[in-house]
Order: sequence, then structure tokens, then C-alpha cells
Amino acid sequence: MRHLLYSIPLAGLLAASAMAADVNSIAILTPEKGSDFGWNQQGVDSAKAAGEATGVEVVVADGLGYGDVRAPMRELAAEGVDLMIAHASGYNTAAPEIAQETGVPVAIVDTPDGLTEGLIADYTLSGHEGAYLAGRLAGKMTTTGTVGIVVSGEPPSWNSQSAGFAEGVKAENPDVKVLYAVIGPAAYSDAAGGNRVTTSVIAAGADIIFGQGNGSSFGMIQAVETNKATDGSDTLFIDVIGDKGSLDKGHLLTSVVWDMTPVYTAMIEDLKNDTFGTTGYAISLSDDSVKLLKTPQVDAAAWDEVMALRDQIIAGEITVEPVFDAEDVRSLVTVTE
Amino acid sequence: MEALLTAAFLSSLLTGAIVAGIPLLLAGLGEQMSEKAGVLNIGIEGMMLAGAYLGFLTAWTSSSIWLGFLGGIAGGILVAALMALLCVVLRLNQIVIGIALTLGVEGMTALLHHFQFSRTYPRLPAPDRVDLPFLTDIPVLGPSLFGRHPLVYLALISVLVLAFLYRRTNLGLTLRAAGEKPAALDVAGGHVIAIRSAAVLFTGGMAGLGGAYMANIGAGLFIPYMTGGAGFIGIVLAMLARGRPLWVLAGALIFGAALSLTTALQVAGSNIPTDVIQMLPFAAVMLVLVIWGRRARLPAALGVGYERGAR
Repeated sequence: MRHLLYSIPLAGLLAASAMAADVNSIAILTPEKGSDFGWNQQGVDSAKAAGEATGVEVVVADGLGYGDVRAPMRELAAEGVDLMIAHASGYNTAAPEIAQETGVPVAIVDTPDGLTEGLIADYTLSGHEGAYLAGRLAGKMTTTGTVGIVVSGEPPSWNSQSAGFAEGVKAENPDVKVLYAVIGPAAYSDAAGGNRVTTSVIAAGADIIFGQGNGSSFGMIQAVETNKATDGSDTLFIDVIGDKGSLDKGHLLTSVVWDMTPVYTAMIEDLKNDTFGTTGYAISLSDDSVKLLKTPQVDAAAWDEVMALRDQIIAGEITVEPVFDAEDVRSLVTVTE
Repeated sequence: MEALLTAAFLSSLLTGAIVAGIPLLLAGLGEQMSEKAGVLNIGIEGMMLAGAYLGFLTAWTSSSIWLGFLGGIAGGILVAALMALLCVVLRLNQIVIGIALTLGVEGMTALLHHFQFSRTYPRLPAPDRVDLPFLTDIPVLGPSLFGRHPLVYLALISVLVLAFLYRRTNLGLTLRAAGEKPAALDVAGGHVIAIRSAAVLFTGGMAGLGGAYMANIGAGLFIPYMTGGAGFIGIVLAMLARGRPLWVLAGALIFGAALSLTTALQVAGSNIPTDVIQMLPFAAVMLVLVIWGRRARLPAALGVGYERGAR
């Protein structure tokens, strides 16, 4: 009888461990090389960090382009990975299909309604709170009274940052004009377009550019480096997602840096606990998965004020709601009367 | 709206039209010669990209933008040589080979960029400009149109040179014969394969130069896939131009201006949805196609490989 009593909790323990899924390896698939100082690099670096933290092997399949990703996903599934992170909004159609076909769970972006328990999870991330702070900083530091937003596309996560930036600028100083320009439809690699559009926005009066563009953002940076503002001052650039500090020639004001390590770590834990696909994932200021980069170009007093605002957001005293729709972004920028 | 009425902004718009239009002009002029000689050069996108990469690499390592342009021409010719070998000499399918070359160059340049530049993303300084005397003093228009990099003027001069070549020289006639009736040219003692190969190499050189302009002047850096379909727009311009270089110029400037206009409408805070605004350049090309496209006449032997004695 005593043996029977001992065996009950032991059986429960064994059953629980059998229920928890084994996660030995995960894969991340990115459209461009993981060396773009932005979305792709942050994704790859964060996946590696999450793998290291959880003892899981990470397979990197980068530079896959924006086309059909089904073939490499089938290969990875055949290799036995336990999770495929499809790190591009362009993979949102193929990845769920492959998940259904192979039974290997996938994580996709920009599809909050696409959850399927045990199979498909979404991580539509938004750095809107960080972008709001960047907007407050731009509002304090603009000398022409005009700032610009230049984007190479309008995916939901970028829209929320554009909106957050515009809201931050207006909250700081309602008189500051916010210009908004999209380079072209999915012009993620159009560096020449980034340069051309940014040059026009600077010529229209902007002295601080909030740029979201993948490869095209380097064209924006080149434009900022080679064009003075209309009042003769240096123009400044605010980057997103990655840290381009090592490439800076004195024009990088700040960057809304994302760290996706907590997101991918949570995905792995959810897989282990059989709760994958039941909820989405987010990044926030509170755990520094969203933070502003401090550069030598930032005014010290303005930085301190912005950090105080950060604390207020974390404390819930200031609320910044994410805005994912492009139409709503345009309603926040300066419109012709 | 007042943002649109400043001299600086109007000037930047005109500048934007030129910066966007010149690569299309160079690619379109190159494609036009291939098509005249009977080769549908679908690989022009790859040639532009090779020119952008090698043009930037050369400019960056030599600190000379002019050597960069030569590097761009060499890059384009390198890809064009493959096209000439496979399509003109070996008579393989021009469309298949053109697409394959473009995809191959995209992958190759992305890989090279990854190993060479992806940790540093080097950028070139602002390009030098040449102000044409008196003309640059014209308000707004002057600095935009007459204060450009010398390559812009050379590109415009090349339009006139090519127009003269096609209309007034035996070489122009020979090119047309290679595209219209290659067998007749062969009988008359012309070397069809040599003429077509030379035309393809010229296309590669012009497309490579266009790509180098895009990287060295337009962007100031190289990014994988940065040509973004400009080569294909060059093909459309060449087809619409019906063999006339001046029409290629007009088409390139219209497209460049339409691209620039999209920025203007957005910066002005227009309430027109961005998606509609972004369609403008492509809608302009489609409009031109509808109006003039039906009358576009392509060479009779375009896309058809030539084999002596074949029936």
C-alpha cells in the first residue's frame, strides 16, 4: 500500500514530462541576410540569443528573398526542426500552409487573427511606445519646426511606429509639422528611392527624418548625410529596429531598437508547455525589448526628459495605443488645408 | 501646400525626376539597340545590377566616381557577354536566358555584398556637379536642370548621337537589317552574329552605366536588389519608343517626373490614398501603352535566333 502511494505522484510526474513537448531545434527564415543592421539582423540575433538561453539549437536560413518560401520550409521541416519562425510578412501565406502540411509549428508576423493552437502563432510586434519617445525627442530638437517620416512600405508594425512617432511629436509641440512619404510599393531595397524621397522631404523643410526602410534606409541615411536642412543646420536621422551606431557619421539622432529575444524565448517555452498558438507576443519598454539608442547627437537635457517620459509610460501614466492601419497614420500627419 | 511652393522643394522635385529618369534612359537606349538588332534583352535588369555593384565597388575602392562608371560599364558588359554567347551564338531562348541571368546576378551580388559590405555599409560622398554658365542662374529650373553631374549631360548627348547613328549611318542601317531581315544582311556580306553580339554588349555597357549611376549618384551606396525592376521599365520604354532615342528620353523623363510627383503629393499631405499615389508612374506607363502602344512596331526578327542557311 505504501508503494502504491509513492507511485501516484511519480506517475503524475512522468505523465507531465511526457506531455511537455521536446524542443531541440528551431529555425528562423529571413528574406534578407542577417547583417542589415535592422529587421533581419535583429531577428537572427534574437533567435540565437533565445536558443542559447533555452538550450535549443537554432538554424538560420537567411537571404531567402520575398518570393515563395515553401521549398526551404519543407526542407527545414524534413530536417526535423521543432519550430519555424517565418520572419517576413510576405511569408504569411506560405508558412501556415506548410505548417498544416508538415505539422511543424510556425510563427508568422502581421497576422494577429491567424492563431491556430499548437501550430501557428503570430508575433506582430510594435515599437510604438519607443517611436512615441523618439517623436518627443524630435519635437524637442527640431530647429526648422518640421520633421519627416519616410517609409519603404506600410506593414502594420511600421504603421504603428509611424503613428507613435507622429503622436509623440504632436504631444511635444503641436505646431511642429510632420511630413509623411512612402518611397514606393514594397520598396524595401530601393536605396536610390530612399535617397530621392528623403532629399525631397528635407527640401520641404524637415531637419529630422524618422526612417523605416530595410535596405532603402541606407539611401535615406546617405541623403541625410549629404543634405543640409533649409535653415542650414545638419539634418538628423532616427532609425528603427536595429542599431546602426557603428556606421554613423554624426547624423544618427537615435534608434528605436527592438530585442526579440523575449518573444522567441516565450515561443520556445510555449512549445514546451503545449500552449503555442494560443496567444500573440509583444515587445515593450518595460523589459527593454524596446528602447531608444543614445548617441552623441542627442541633447543631454532632452534625453533626460525623454527618459522621464519612458518611466511614465511604463508606470501607465501615459498611454500610447498602437495604430496599425495606414489610413490612420495619414490622419496623424500634416495634411493640406 | 506651402511646402510645395518653395524653390528648394521644387528644385528637389526636378532633381528627383532626373535622378530617377537617367538610369531608365541609359537602360532604355541600350535595350533599344539590342531590339533593333533582333535580340530581346530580358537580362538587362541583371546587367544593371551587375553595373551597380561593380560600379560602386570600383568607385569605393578607387575613390573615383568616373572609374566607378567604367566599372559599371564593365559589369554590364560581363553579363551581356554571357547573353551574347548563349542567345546570339548558341541561339538559346532569349527570354529564359535573360531571366536566368537576372536571377543569377541578383544572387551573386547579394552574396558578394554580404561578404564585402554588410558590416560597414560604406557610402560615397555627395557627387560633384557641373554648373552650366548662365543657365544655372535661372530660378528653380536652373540649378535642377543645369547643375547636374556631367554624366547627365553625356547621357543626353548620347540620345542625339544614337538618333544620328540610326538615321544617318550605314551602321544604323546594318543594325536594323540584323533585326528585320538578318538573312538579307548575311547575303549582302554583313556578319549577323557579330552585329547582334556587338549590340548586346552595347546594351550591357549602357545598362551597367545606368546601374552605376543609380548606385553612385542616386543612392551613394550599393544594396542587393537595388535596381528594383528599373531594367524591365527600360525594356518597356524601348518598345514604346519605336526605335527612336528621343522617345526613350521622353518616356524616361515622364516616368521619373511621375515618381517625383508621388513624393510631392505625399509631402503636401494630400488626402489621396498613398496606394493610389504610388500607382501614378505605372499608370502613366500604361496610359502611354494604351495611346501609343498599339502603333509600336517591333523588328520582324526580334527574339529569333539566326542560323545561316536555316529555313
